[in-house]
Order: sequence, then C-alpha cells, then structure tokens
Amino acid sequence: MRFTQLNPFAVTVYYVCILAVTMFSMNPFLLCIALVTSVLSAVLTHTANRKNHLFSLAVFVVAAALNPIFVHKGLTVLFYFNGNPVTLEATLYGLSAAMMLTSALYRLRDLSKALTSDKVLYLFGRFSPKLALLLSMTLRFVSLLRVRWRRIQDSQKALGLYDDGNLIDAVRGRARVLSILITWTLENGIVTAESMESRGYNSGRRTSYAVYRVHAADVLFILVCLSLTALTAAGIWQSKAVYYPEFDMRLFSPWGLAGAAAFTLLSVLPLIINIKEAIRWRLLLSKT
Amino acid sequence: MALVTLKNLSFTYPNGYTKALSDISLTIESGAFVTLMGATGSGKSTLLRLLKPELRQNGNITGTALFDGEEITKLSPRDSARRIGYVAQNPDEQLVTDKVWHELAFTLENLGYKRADIARRVGETAAYFDLEPLMERDTSTLSGGEKQLLNLAAVMAADPELLLLDEPTAQLDPIAAARFIDTIHRLNRETGVTVLICEHRTEELFPLSDRVIILDHGQLTFDDIPRKVAESIGCDSPYTSFLPTAARIFHQVSGRGEIPLTVREGQRFIARYGNSVRSLSEPKPSDKNEIALSMKNIRFRYDRNGADILSDLDLTVYSGEVFALLGANGAGKSTMAAVAAGLRKPYYGKVALFSKPLKDYKNGSLYQHNLSLLPQDAESVFIRETVKEELKGCEHILDSLPFDLSPLSARHPYDLSGGERQLVALCKALSTDPRLLIMDEPSKGLDANAKALLIQVIGQLKSDGVTVLLITHDTEFAALCADRCALFAQGRIAAADTTERFLSGNRFYTTAASRITRARYDGAYTAHRAARLIEENGGMR
Repeated sequence: MRFTQLNPFAVTVYYVCILAVTMFSMNPFLLCIALVTSVLSAVLTHTANRKNHLFSLAVFVVAAALNPIFVHKGLTVLFYFNGNPVTLEATLYGLSAAMMLTSALYRLRDLSKALTSDKVLYLFGRFSPKLALLLSMTLRFVSLLRVRWRRIQDSQKALGLYDDGNLIDAVRGRARVLSILITWTLENGIVTAESMESRGYNSGRRTSYAVYRVHAADVLFILVCLSLTALTAAGIWQSKAVYYPEFDMRLFSPWGLAGAAAFTLLSVLPLIINIKEAIRWRLLLSKT
Repeated sequence: MALVTLKNLSFTYPNGYTKALSDISLTIESGAFVTLMGATGSGKSTLLRLLKPELRQNGNITGTALFDGEEITKLSPRDSARRIGYVAQNPDEQLVTDKVWHELAFTLENLGYKRADIARRVGETAAYFDLEPLMERDTSTLSGGEKQLLNLAAVMAADPELLLLDEPTAQLDPIAAARFIDTIHRLNRETGVTVLICEHRTEELFPLSDRVIILDHGQLTFDDIPRKVAESIGCDSPYTSFLPTAARIFHQVSGRGEIPLTVREGQRFIARYGNSVRSLSEPKPSDKNEIALSMKNIRFRYDRNGADILSDLDLTVYSGEVFALLGANGAGKSTMAAVAAGLRKPYYGKVALFSKPLKDYKNGSLYQHNLSLLPQDAESVFIRETVKEELKGCEHILDSLPFDLSPLSARHPYDLSGGERQLVALCKALSTDPRLLIMDEPSKGLDANAKALLIQVIGQLKSDGVTVLLITHDTEFAALCADRCALFAQGRIAAADTTERFLSGNRFYTTAASRITRARYDGAYTAHRAARLIEENGGMR
C-alpha cells in the first residue's frame, strides 16, 4: 500500500503531527532535519515542480535575511550594516525561521496533493453528512463558476460591450460580469434545488457514502505516528534552544538525540512505506 | 394495471385566468412508454410536474391524480424520491455533487441507505449505464451527453417505478440524444420502468413509444398509439412538426396505405414511386464572393502540455453566405468560434476578417460594425431587469426583423421561453451592425415554432447582406437555412461543401429525409424537397 492509499484519516493525522512539530519547535537541528526530509520527499514523489522549488528558495532567502537586518539583539556581532550591528544570534534565528517556513510550505503542498477533494469529503462525512454534501456542492460550484465567468466575459466582449482600454472601463466590465454571473447562478440554482428535493434531500436522516475503509495498517500507522511525535515532543522539551542573548542548546543530551532520531523517522515514514511498496512490487514482478 | 390515473385534472396558475391544464383524463399502464408532445406553453411540463409532489407549482388544482391507486400528494417525500424519478432539461444544473460516484450515491444517501447497500447499488448502476470509466472524474469535466446520462443513472439508482423526463435531450447533439433515448428504451424493456417523456425531438421517439399524447393549450388533443396519431395529423395541422420525417413525406404526397414512421419504413414507402427525375433543377449558386472570414493552419490548445483542440484547421467563409459548421458537442466547435471571433489567440496560423488580419482591428473596432458572436448561453448576455432596458440601443434593428418583441418589453429576460431569450440575445448581437455574425448553437433547446422563426430571421439577415457562420449540431436546422456546410472533426474541418452535396454525401451526419431518400434521389435532404421530387416523378406509380 502506498502512503497516499492509506485511509484519509491516517494521512491527516500524519500531516498534523509533522506540521505541529515543525511549526512549534525552534530547534535548529530538528528544523534542519525537517527541511532536508521535506525537500527530499517532494523531489522523490514529484509533488513540486521547478517553479515551486524556486519559490521556496526565494521564501527561504527572504525569511533568513529579514531577521538579522531588523533585529539587533544578541552578543556576538559579526559586522555592521548601515551602522547597525548584525549579530550571529539573529542570523541563526533567521535561518531557523526560514527553515521552518520553507519545510512547512513543502509539507502543506504535499498535503494538498495527498488529500484530494473526495478524501476531505470523507473526513467530514464521518462527522456530518450535511457538511460533507455542502463541501461537495461548493467544489462543484467553484469549477462551474470559473467556466461561466469565462463565458460571460467572452460574450460581453464579442458584443462590443467590454473594453479593457482603461482602468475604469475594465473595472466596470468586471463588475458587470460579476453581476451577470450572480443572476445566472441564482436563477439556475432553483433547478439544482429541485433536483435535490426530487431526489429525496431532506426527507429524513441522511447517510454519507464513501469509498474508503479503515484497515489494520491504518491503525498501526496512526499509533506509530503518535508515539514518534510524543518522543519528539519530549526531546524538544528537554533540549530547548535559546537564541538571545547568546545561543544555547543542550543538543547532545540523550533526550535531545532520541527526539531527533524519532523526528527523522517520522519525517521519512511515507518514503519508507513507498519504498517498501516498490520493493514488494519488484519481487512480485520477478516471481512471475 | 394502471400506475398513474388522472381524472378531470385542471390547473390554474395563481395569477393566470386561463387554465394551464384543463380537464385532463388519462391512465398510464404500468410498464408503458408514453411520449408527451406539445408546443412551448402547452402545459406539458406542468402536467409532468403535477406527477411529482415536490415539484408541483403553486396554483389551483382540481380533479384527482392517483399514483398506484393512491392520491399522489399523499406520498411521503421518501416514497416520492424512491418511486418517482425525474430528469429535467438542463444537464448541468441538475448535478449536485462534484464527483460522478457521489452523484450516483446522492439519492441513496438521502434515503438513508447503509454504506454497503449504497456500494452495491452504485456499482451495478455504473456498470449498467457504462459509467465505470468516469467514476472518479469531476462532474464538471463530463460532456453534455455524459452529464445527462449521469442524471438518468443517478435517478435510476433508487430503482423508481415511474420515470418522468422533461425534454431530456433538448441540449444534446443528435448522436448523444439518440444514445440517451436508446438507453431509456432499453431501461423500459429490461426493467419495466414506466416512462413518461416530454420531447420536441420526435424522430426517434415516435416509433418506439407505446402511446403518444399531444397537448395544446392545456387540452388533451391526441392520445393514441403512434401510428394512429400520425395518421390523424394531416399535412397542414399545427402538429405536423411533431411527426417524424417519413410520416411528413407521406402526408405531403398524400400517400396511401400504412403510414411510415421510421427511416426504414420511409425508404420502403418511397420505393413505390418512380425516380426518373433524380434531382431538383435549381439555379446554380452565384459565383463566389469576397472572402469574409479566412482561417489558415490554425492550431490552438488551452494548456501548454495539453492536446491540440484545433489542429491545422482551414476554413473559408464567403461574404453573403450562410455557412454551417456541424459536429458533435465537445469536439471544439465553440473553441473554433472563439478563435474566429478573436477571443482566443491561436498559437499558430492566421485569422483574417474581410482580408484584414484580426490583430489589425484596433481599439475594439473588430466588435463594432464588423463581427458579432451570439453565444450559446443567452444568459451570459443579459444585464438588465427588463427586456426593454436590455434592448436599449437596438431600436434600429427591431424594425427590420420579422418578429415583434414589444409584448415582452416589461418581462425579466429570465422569465422568457428559450426561443424568446434567443431572439432578444440576437437583437443585442445585431446592435453593432456586424458584417459577420457567428451564432453558437442557436437552435439548442428550441421547439419547432421557435426554430422556424429563427430560420426566417437568418434568411432576412442573408438578404440584408450579413454573412452568417452557424456553429451547430442540429443537421435538420442546418439543412433548412445553410448554403454551405462543413463537418468539424478531430480539430479540423473534415469536409466543406454545398448543403446539398454535404447532406447527400453523409450517411450518419445528415438529416432523416436524406437517409430515407439517398438511394433513390439526390439532394432530397428535407421532407419538403423529398415531396417535391416525388411529385415531379408523377406521384404514385
């Protein structure tokens, strides 16, 4: 089973754990691990293209540079910039923040690819079938409105009513397109409402259908995730990083090392699952 | 056993003085396939809606309507949802959810079925309707025909006893429509579901119905087996347009014997007549004029990594002609119209209007006095609250057109019928005095009368010197108004020719009249032309 084939609930738990650790710890060592593993998994699972990577790099550079430029706390002065001291501590803090931001971005992108709309729906459907339906309808509407917006713009333009010539005309044109879009959608919404009612919507208790099931592997995966996160949290607690006035961190305490190890394992868990799957597939192929 | 019984049923809208339905009495046997016909406003939709409690319109109802021996209004919402299925005209608006599998499960979810039961029902329904390959798709990515098939499947998933269909194929191209009607027919034969269908498209429906009912101004005028109804409707009756082509030819030549309903029966019928004169003698079309629109080697795609929608397309439209571009829905015809109208830029190739490249029309001059596009959805044109405000600036057009919109001036554009909407939108498109008018599916969803009026308008435009490019899937419509036709397939123009040669040459993408007569006559692509040829051959042999 590939990682994305796990039950959506398990996938969600995983990302909540990893994002929580990444966003709430300012431990540079852990953040370094977080960044390297998130880039690695993005590259190996092809969830980011070249544009995404470049964007992440830009975010990293800007985030890392901002802190030392504007924050002058810290004892170790590296050099003076515009008459202001640039300190080692502020630079380190900036680097940590940049690592945190960049790796969180990568993970969030992974998450949005892993949790497709019907998986989100399934998650909500467990708690509220009505909310799930609302979400599904909204998703349908988003693509419907996009198509319609385009069509209205086209027909207004071809009737000579739409002019991009100057800003005021352009704004007026957009406003008109929006007003048509709203009228059209509301008018036709009646048909959708009738279709829902004639198919028994609101006729009593509703169930929610989904194509996902919960397997033992999902439960096991969640347990592993949670215990690794707990271990990491303990590690963070024991080896807190202090940046100002002077950088200090008890990195090589036993707890700190255990936490780092646990976090590394947690970070590459999806990769391990996928690699195991790939090996098994190879074996199956070689047998036939 | 009677599944539906109506006794002296009348219906009046709350504001109306005239009855929308008056004194309707009929019974529909369980397992019957009944077709309901009538012009727009004849009350057929109202009748259909009276049979589904949730969809009943406000108004005054007298008489009784029984479903399975019980008053219809006594059905609980759950029973009504399960036992009576309803599919309407617009494929898009009836869809509720974003995924195909979810749409199939929707009714069952509402009825509170268990997950395992839903899984089984959804699975078997998908298999029956051949929707398996589409299950994971977003509903918005389906073609019109697929959407409508999904709407039908979603309703059938609940296993209803009565299926009500309100013009389900009005928005579909002929091939998708024929497939849809086949599916309904198969359902009726294989599951015994009772079908009551309203339709304008009668070519396929007429012969396979058990009964045909015709409504006129809320009154039941015909209720009989199809052949009897076809016999009783004469040549000059207001209902002639409801008949299939074979029956129309039969009436026009005052045929004797059993009336033909299908293409095959029609072929047998005309075989009785001579064919020494094979084609009508007609004045040769005048020499080719100036080129109005020229498209050369056009290549277009929406997405850099996507497939070409238009690939190496060449098209020439001459000034003063009516040119019809035919092809299935979703093949890219509308994209071609958008490229021709300068709304999309091709990545390769040249588009020129009256020998001037499109990009040389500066400052929106392209859309003033040169080119206008009547879009597929008239809704996308309307901005104002009333027809009168909508038509401001179009006054100079209104006088020259063969219809009168003034009775509608106080109405909201959305309250008009499909045909009326199309006319108002057309006036707006003509307000810039275009030399080339591109019409995207103008006949979609129109009834026979509205179509006839539209054909008259196109004739008028042509005589005023406007070049018309029709983008349509409606071969019967193109046959009646186009000078030249072309088939759009695989992103290019497959064959451009005069309407006569085009329709006589095609086997599938042609009119019913052409299919009936092609073995014996040339160029008899409308019922009228076929009848004239039979008469020139001296009528009955």
